[in-house]
Amino acid sequence: MFDPLQVTLKIGASGLEAQSKRLRVVSENLANAQSTGRAPGADPYTRKTISFESEVDDAMGANLVKVAGIDRHRSPYRVEHNPGHPAADANGYVKLPNVDVLVEVADMREANRSFEANLQVIKQAREMISMTIDLLRSG
Amino acid sequence: MIDRIVPAASSVASPIEVGAADLVRGAAAAASPAAEGADFGAMLGALTSNALSVVKDAELISVAGVRGQASVQQVVEAVMSAEQTLQGAITIRDKVVSAYLELSRMSI
Repeated sequence: MFDPLQVTLKIGASGLEAQSKRLRVVSENLANAQSTGRAPGADPYTRKTISFESEVDDAMGANLVKVAGIDRHRSPYRVEHNPGHPAADANGYVKLPNVDVLVEVADMREANRSFEANLQVIKQAREMISMTIDLLRSG
Repeated sequence: MIDRIVPAASSVASPIEVGAADLVRGAAAAASPAAEGADFGAMLGALTSNALSVVKDAELISVAGVRGQASVQQVVEAVMSAEQTLQGAITIRDKVVSAYLELSRMSI
């Protein structure tokens, strides 16, 4: 049998890992918000999306969270008229990434909050373990 | 009517009794190897060797973290677990040592 508090720590840690991967994807999207293709008419950077799924840990019987996959977002690219650009097509249009900076920043905040929530869970479990050990000390 | 209730009650009670018997048997089985070498030093040794392995794991992961091979979360998790295991072991040791001292202070 596993100590529920120790299992809580493990679950919290899996949440931290998932959220940090999410932030990684957001940072890629933000950094590449202006990345175009090289050849004329080539596709630019495509926005990446991350999805999570529940994973049952057989040993502990706990539902951990894990990254289900990092996929490409299927929305149309932004198009800008810029005939001098190396990636401009015959009509002078350049395809820009389908990254919406506002959406990415909102996603970043959400990752931050979820990370904080998981940290709080770990903090709480840790405090409860320490409190229980202290019971032995003071008595 | 009562005849029906009594067997029902006994059938409810029996799994609990079986469970309790299993528990007692399990406890006896767990206690027997300790009883053979029930000495103070061996007990403390078992306690510290477990704590030691957790602390060693934490050290390994910390070094991997410094090298950039482990994430910050992994390092923090391992160090936290080591800290707590050590605290638990130290507290139990203090408790046992104080009990030992109590015994030696006993007036004969």
